[in-house]
Amino acid sequence: MDFAIADTCFLIDWSLWRRRDAIFELFKTIFVPETVMREVVSADTIEWITDALIKGVLSLFTETPDILEEARVLVEKSRSIPVLRGVDLPEAICLVVGRRRGYIVLTENRGALMITDILEEYRKVKVWRALEVIANLIKKRLLRTRDPTEIFNEYERETYHRFPRGELEVVIDELRREVGEVA
Amino acid sequence: MHLEKWRRLEEEARRIRREEADWKFIEKQPPKIRAALKYYVEVGDLYVASRIAGLTIDEFNRLRIKARIPNVA
Repeated sequence: MDFAIADTCFLIDWSLWRRRDAIFELFKTIFVPETVMREVVSADTIEWITDALIKGVLSLFTETPDILEEARVLVEKSRSIPVLRGVDLPEAICLVVGRRRGYIVLTENRGALMITDILEEYRKVKVWRALEVIANLIKKRLLRTRDPTEIFNEYERETYHRFPRGELEVVIDELRREVGEVA
Repeated sequence: MHLEKWRRLEEEARRIRREEADWKFIEKQPPKIRAALKYYVEVGDLYVASRIAGLTIDEFNRLRIKARIPNVA
């Protein structure tokens, strides 16, 4: 099992899904930077996070000055490449930690994906969106379903999310081949 | 090559957000909130949009859902 680090846009969306606790089966612990904690205000999400902190499946991550400095450099780099969606400090912190410590970065920010595609020093960082997290939960049979499409549709409905159609089709085909019909 | 792929994906995401957004709801909002929702439709960046609105990301995300703007990712 790997460690992961989550940014706010991922965690806040994910917390709206009825099967949100399944993610804790996938990682040793998910680190949550302090900057992320400051963004959470709704009672239900705070309760969910606090409960997970008590159980130790979520852990607080305190950013050090050198991580913050490297994250600021990354923000500047991302803003200097035309077309590239810039990353902001919260995602940049997660990417820096992902690069330094090998944690899987959980984010819905497309800029973070672009960074790992375009900047050589971030190529090895694994970035997972809800799409990859759900796919991995199904692959590892931590979520059981007759039809993976139902699970993705449910996530889209409950969090008001849209998975890119092309990528979703590829993931569903792969799951059907690998897992088959999992009752 | 890579940049062209990302540019296409960004354009597609923007189109989906524009089409599905509840524009009546957005236009009825006070100026800061309205500007932030429009920024989100165009760029899809929750963090910056929440700063424009003067809200936390959590609060802005709930507003995004009320405005029926999907998070395309």
